Amino acid sequence: MISLIGFGGLIFSLLCSIILIFIFFIQNKKYSETIFYYALYGSVISIIISFLALMFSYVSSDFSNYNVFQNSHSSKPLLYKITGTWGNHEGSMLLWLLIMTFYNLFFSFNKKLDDDLKKLTIFFQSSLYTCFVLFVLFTSNPFLSTSIEIKEGLGLNPILQDPALAIHPPMLYTGYVGFSLVLSLALAGLILNKIDIKWIKTTKNWTLFCWSMLTGGISLGSYWAYYELGWGGWWFWDPVENVSLMPWIAGLALVHTLMITQKEQLLKRWIVFLSILCFSLSVFGTFLVRSGILTSVHSFAADSSRGIFILILFLVITGFSFIIFIFKSTDSNKKLNLLFINKSSALIVNNIVMLVACITILLGTIYPIIIEVITNKRISVGAPYFNMTVLPILLPGFLLMSVAPALSWQSNRLPKFKNYLILFILMSILSSLITYFTHFNVWGFIGITLGLIVIGASTLSIFHNYAKYNFKQFFLRNNAFIAHIGVGIAILGVTCSSVFQTEHRRSLNIGESINIGKYSLRLEDTKILEKNNYQELLAYFSLYENDEILSKIKPSKRYYHVSKMITTEAGIYHHWLQDFYIVLGNQKDNKWDIKIYQNPLINFIWLGVMIMILSGLIGIRKK
Amino acid sequence: MTVRFQRLLLIIFSLIFLSTAILLILFNSKKNLIFFYTPSEFLNSNSGIGDKIRIGGFVKKKSIINKGNNEYNFIITDLKNTLNISYKGILPDLFKEEQGAVIEGTLLKNNIIEASTVFAKHDENYMPASIKKELENQKYWKKEYK
Repeated sequence: MISLIGFGGLIFSLLCSIILIFIFFIQNKKYSETIFYYALYGSVISIIISFLALMFSYVSSDFSNYNVFQNSHSSKPLLYKITGTWGNHEGSMLLWLLIMTFYNLFFSFNKKLDDDLKKLTIFFQSSLYTCFVLFVLFTSNPFLSTSIEIKEGLGLNPILQDPALAIHPPMLYTGYVGFSLVLSLALAGLILNKIDIKWIKTTKNWTLFCWSMLTGGISLGSYWAYYELGWGGWWFWDPVENVSLMPWIAGLALVHTLMITQKEQLLKRWIVFLSILCFSLSVFGTFLVRSGILTSVHSFAADSSRGIFILILFLVITGFSFIIFIFKSTDSNKKLNLLFINKSSALIVNNIVMLVACITILLGTIYPIIIEVITNKRISVGAPYFNMTVLPILLPGFLLMSVAPALSWQSNRLPKFKNYLILFILMSILSSLITYFTHFNVWGFIGITLGLIVIGASTLSIFHNYAKYNFKQFFLRNNAFIAHIGVGIAILGVTCSSVFQTEHRRSLNIGESINIGKYSLRLEDTKILEKNNYQELLAYFSLYENDEILSKIKPSKRYYHVSKMITTEAGIYHHWLQDFYIVLGNQKDNKWDIKIYQNPLINFIWLGVMIMILSGLIGIRKK
Repeated sequence: MTVRFQRLLLIIFSLIFLSTAILLILFNSKKNLIFFYTPSEFLNSNSGIGDKIRIGGFVKKKSIINKGNNEYNFIITDLKNTLNISYKGILPDLFKEEQGAVIEGTLLKNNIIEASTVFAKHDENYMPASIKKELENQKYWKKEYK
């Protein structure tokens, strides 16, 4: 019954958006405008009903729904019953649809844009929505029901039974799907030839919002992988990660171009190109992940028939968009004032760097597929490839980032150049000292120097800008510098946590301890706990600093009865300068194998990312 | 500096940057590719000592030896040929006898590979696509592996 309501909602939502698409072409009729908006609201409300119906099936463990049967179990805690709604392919696509219509709805409240531009954008957004509803209906219907009476479900993949499932996918999709609205805006603006200051402002706000959400989604996912996989790392250049990184980088390029050019209205064609690229990359990524062409540690169950559908969807959306892009030109651009070092050339360099990085990641990700098709040999492109290509490519971008926001539009000089130069020298000396007193590593040295320079130069720029602002003005004015300080902090975190990570492997008896520098770690006890739907083996460790107890750390292993799977839960102690990260291994002769990672400055990554997200959101308020 | 000269400089720098990027990609895609073999394919390949490779196959029954102190030896097989693997570290939770696994490592000497990473099946329904293909080729594919 409840599945029927959900399915009905989905169908009704499709009908509404088809009505919207047709009514759009009936112009100058008395009721068309009213029907247009009512169709929009109708499709939003019915998809909400459909989504709630699925959620209700999960919460009430309605195993007559095939999707619930496959991915849920009645003994699962309530939180995972709710979040399990999007913990599988079909449900997550329904979430995708929900977010897509929400963007359409909230955009329809916009009062600044001209009416025709707004309607055309809603039209395009609804067309995209229709494509995806068809995809869900034909290949991944979450409301299939079984006529056989089933008492129990198969259970949710234990790796997904984590609180992060509640926020990571919705946030990530808010980012991915948001680019569809940016695409609709770009197409509408291009066709009506209305890419003006109002268009740029609106697009800037939406892009900033979904870019910030995407940033949050990716970093949450990466934090989740950090404590769940037990590999001591947080980024593995896994295909699924790369695929999310590509629209992120393209979105970053778009955000910068929109922010910088909004006053001058430069580079309109380029902005449109990037807008199209962002959503194309999102869809392409979905194709790679969902089709099962690439294997990944974060993999969703895959099905090749879906793959073909998404591929067609991708080709249609991208093809259509780029055809419009080629045939419709924007009104004549202002001439770019390209000098050797000024804001416009910095912007160009930024865009070149980001796009080249994006292409490099794309190549590395799809290279194995190409090779397999051509030579029938199987290869994998590992992390070293990405580290050795993407990082050097980003290097000039990072260097430029430290001073770019302070550059001027017209003249060819950096104001107060001397101060920056002194700062650069000071920071290089500081980082040399740091590496001298720890151990030398080329990447470590480069990373620390870059991070310090970026933080230092951005702080210096804020200092130069100093005037009597109130609190709010301060943040709005210095938004770009603050974001860049965030990047600098993240660079420090990434560098130190990867280059200076130390790893210790030991076998310990209960009561035995090991020394790591001035710290010592003692295995106190192990215990087996019975939880709702799993059995947990907990090990209790005490961490001492100079014989004073710092904290208890509790790594564990969980055995999930339903899926007969064991998962590892790393025990992590967040010291403000480093993480102690313990993974519990097997037992042999009363000795427990353990692995300990010391990850210096890893918290700086999350701190830096949070600063970036916040300044992204603050940027929306900036005029 | 004239405006023209500055633009020329900018273009030159962009070109240098682009060609560096291309060189980096070409160089690294030659150096950092890891070939994926089954044990039989591996024996037919001309991999030399010290090469980085990935091997996919099954963990042979009763071949896992826990030497203590986080050190393991085990054998990977594709039911025709076998390879000896040594590994230091914590094995993944789903690493079991007669289950699919992929190991990444370097060739120490003939037939012995020192694994740096061991990947096991991700969950009960998951099998690395490349192993699946190989099993299908050899008609060892059981329906219950999804």
